[in-house]
Amino acid sequence: MTISRNTLTAFSLAAACWWTPAALAQAAPATPMVAPAGLYQALGEKPGIARLMDDFVNRVVVDPRIGGHFKDAKPQALKDSLTDQICQLSGGPCKYEGADMKSAHADMDIHKGHFNALVEVLQSAMDAQGIPFTQQNRLLALLAPMHRDVITIR
Amino acid sequence: MKHRLHCTLLAALAMGAGLAQADTGKLLLTGGVSSIGGAAGGGLTPWAVIGTNATAGEVGFSGYATRAATQDFSLNGYGVAVGLHDRVELSLARQDFDASPALALNGIAPFGVEPGQHIQMDVVGIKVKVAGDAVLDADSWMPQIAVGLEHKRTRPGSIGSVLDFLGTQTSGTDVYVSATKLLLAQSLLVNGTLRYTNANQNGLLGFGSAAPGKNSRSLQPEFSIAYLLSKNLAVGAEYRFKPNNLQALGAAAGLGAALREDDWKDIFIAWAPTKNMSLTLAYVDLGRIVPGITNNRRQTGYYLSAQVAF
Repeated sequence: MTISRNTLTAFSLAAACWWTPAALAQAAPATPMVAPAGLYQALGEKPGIARLMDDFVNRVVVDPRIGGHFKDAKPQALKDSLTDQICQLSGGPCKYEGADMKSAHADMDIHKGHFNALVEVLQSAMDAQGIPFTQQNRLLALLAPMHRDVITIR
Repeated sequence: MKHRLHCTLLAALAMGAGLAQADTGKLLLTGGVSSIGGAAGGGLTPWAVIGTNATAGEVGFSGYATRAATQDFSLNGYGVAVGLHDRVELSLARQDFDASPALALNGIAPFGVEPGQHIQMDVVGIKVKVAGDAVLDADSWMPQIAVGLEHKRTRPGSIGSVLDFLGTQTSGTDVYVSATKLLLAQSLLVNGTLRYTNANQNGLLGFGSAAPGKNSRSLQPEFSIAYLLSKNLAVGAEYRFKPNNLQALGAAAGLGAALREDDWKDIFIAWAPTKNMSLTLAYVDLGRIVPGITNNRRQTGYYLSAQVAF
């Protein structure tokens, strides 16, 4: 028995839902995402973000998978810069004035495994700060698309 | 065939174990779990994700064992998969289906079905990611899309005479396309798969049917949704539409709806206690499976699967 007309219609609708936004997204380059309401507060505002980035960078530089990429970075400058970036991205009153992601990573050999390792370290740091999982994912959703500029080895 | 499959399984295991020495770097649970057909996905349906822990530039390996049991039937399954560069997935699965109630078929005709008969099935699968990134492209609606193929060979033992009578083939090939998207900000994963198949009960009762049953393939959609409770715990549900190839043949033989086949549904919880291991527990509703020999009962029960992945 073939699938019913209703089933087919439902699937076509589902397919249309998948494809139409995808086609739109391809037609227009992805615009910067709007910070979800309440995320900046959920991260503990600027002091909370500064604590998070302090712990995050401390973990990153000793991580066996990706620590090597940060051997020339000045930890405190990196923490300050990341704090501004996350603060602005999450809807806080900050201004990130560092390099754009593409030029910041252009000289490094970064593959997708490194990017995922960085996400894992950030998840651990957010766990340590007691940031709820749902809020973690809202922040990660803002950061994940940066893979296009950060990963240099495809 | 049996020997050949075993050799292939062993070779795949050895290759996987050897190549998986290097650290692989997929995010937790983003390779899905092992579906009953061996491909990475949910429990009952494949997803567009490429299995194992291997991400771009890496080779990974996974193995799984599954048991499912309902009122009248049970199924044991195991298999392996190799993930190449998060692009191509090769899988091998073996299923062992306890079809003991089939003994009652001897009351319809002298089929010679033996007591406690099992039906075995091997599935060789390949899946190729063709577009998108299910996880990282969080600012776009574009899902990850993959196309796949599952070639299945069924060994029905003494039930073979019944399958011959029904005019079903003992091997068949499903092709499918899957689209998977993690809505990261919502902690929600959705998948849609469209399968082109003529398998009866996934192939355990052969492929196609003699007239007036349906012998040709048809398009069958499959849907999964999963909500991430934490980075290593997900709950979800699946719905898999199925063909109903044999019912018309049964009706023509005066058996009414004795050979009816229903859609499959489940609700599941998947837990990854470590990066290299996941456990999936599900409540499954497989609908009626040859209701003529099972008092027209719906087959509901549990599904338990363990996977290791590197």
